[in-house]
Amino acid sequence: MILLEFAIMQRALIACVLAGFLMGLIGVFVVRMRLSAIGYSMSHGAFAGAALGAATATNPLLTGLLFASSSAFLIGPIADRARLHADTITSIIFPLNMALAFVFLTLVPEIGLSSQVANVLWGSIISMTNADLVYLVTLFATTLAIVYFVWKELFAIMFSRKLAEADGINTKPFIYLIIFLAGVVITFSLKLVGGLLIYALLFNPASTVLQFSENMRKVVIVSPIIGMATTVSGLFVSLFFDMPVGSCIVIVSTIVFAIALLFSPKRRRKEENEK
Amino acid sequence: MSFNTKNTVKQYDNTTSKDVIIKLEDVSTVYEGAKKTAIKNVNLTVMRKELVYVVGPNAAGKTTLLETINGILPTFKGKISVFGLNVKTHGRQVRCRIGYVPQDFMVKPGEPYTTLDVVLMGRYGQIGVFNHPSEQDKVKASEAMKLIGIEELAGKPMGKLSGGQQQKVMLARALAKNPKILLLDEPFSNLDPDSRGQIPTLITKLHQEKDLTTLIVTHDIHHMLDRCNRVIVVSNGKITFDGTPEKALPLVENHPHTTSLEAPHY
Repeated sequence: MILLEFAIMQRALIACVLAGFLMGLIGVFVVRMRLSAIGYSMSHGAFAGAALGAATATNPLLTGLLFASSSAFLIGPIADRARLHADTITSIIFPLNMALAFVFLTLVPEIGLSSQVANVLWGSIISMTNADLVYLVTLFATTLAIVYFVWKELFAIMFSRKLAEADGINTKPFIYLIIFLAGVVITFSLKLVGGLLIYALLFNPASTVLQFSENMRKVVIVSPIIGMATTVSGLFVSLFFDMPVGSCIVIVSTIVFAIALLFSPKRRRKEENEK
Repeated sequence: MSFNTKNTVKQYDNTTSKDVIIKLEDVSTVYEGAKKTAIKNVNLTVMRKELVYVVGPNAAGKTTLLETINGILPTFKGKISVFGLNVKTHGRQVRCRIGYVPQDFMVKPGEPYTTLDVVLMGRYGQIGVFNHPSEQDKVKASEAMKLIGIEELAGKPMGKLSGGQQQKVMLARALAKNPKILLLDEPFSNLDPDSRGQIPTLITKLHQEKDLTTLIVTHDIHHMLDRCNRVIVVSNGKITFDGTPEKALPLVENHPHTTSLEAPHY
């Protein structure tokens, strides 16, 4: 029994480290490329997909991935074709995903707050399997390789998409790549905090580091570390106080951001300039 | 004010199809989401090494004209050739050889980019996907900064620089790619009085030494007017005048939107 609990904890801890790191890393690109609205939409796409998985007794990871990537692939091209800002399309897809998620959840057999529904809504880190960890490790290695090889393009687009285009970079594939990667990372991290809270992990670490650093390389290194630290701390807080893991992770992550905001030199400078 | 018209006449006389570096044929451009065309049925030929001034009132289509030439506006009618290449099909190759300085580009305080980062980005298009900047790229970026006189700002965060310094950084970024064409949109607007004398001189020097073809959009007609070859007046999305600075001056000086509020600085 003790051994079993040890194995569950070990998997939970490794999942926190990997998913926290990935969310912190991808969050930097999502925030700096102003894709936050798309991030919301994809988070809830993954949520709707996982709910469909629970309703149809399919692997929620698979359906979550399908919905998140569909949201990701639809938003950019629809916005381009319709000559609308991506935010407009996102504002339509975001509530649609939420509506679908709640419809799917009502279809889950033995309605009530069944364990499957609860897993989709709030996450269930103790249900992490070895296969989930293998997926996360593969995603971790793939994401790091992608960021390493196309760093200069991502860096230039984060500075200014228009100037990157003017310098001869075809920006569209890189933006779609980040949207897709964010969708995949969100889906594979869903067990950590659940569909309703997942986007906090995407934005909080990056927003925290950006309060201090004036060097993008440092932001990209420190944000995943903060992502890892907050998820691991949240896990221990939940164990200590016997509270839901997902909620504790998000509360810790938000407290860290609030402290950063309090001591933010950038915020102080802005305040001084406004005076 | 005297004008260097000899140079202009000489260049026009030597025109051959080989000298044509930018050619717009019946081009109309519509901004994303807008219904009204920003430039309409524009025909324009720019020769190699020309220094062209583009003037006109606000929202006349001057910026659109520059962004149409380098192809960063996605929708347009007509044909645009730069270096003999169709911009619609070879946009990336064309843009790698065009230095572009946008209008009023300001980096906010606290933004996480150093000056050297920003200048080096000018070379990214030429480096190619999956490759990282080499030492040579870094040297070229440093040389461009030195040329503009901002080498001491290399490690500073962009957001901490003044408007004039940021404008110089953007110029260095454009030069770091060793461009054949320079498109400058209001390059003097944020400069301090000292730089307002230096930068036009520097642009003229670069234009001559590096055989650059340069198009400058500006409201302030006095800067460099005595050094340019040609003036284009854009109004309501159309080219309403295209000729020598001498002939252009009476036209633009009487126009309230294009007359400088200050006396010339040189």
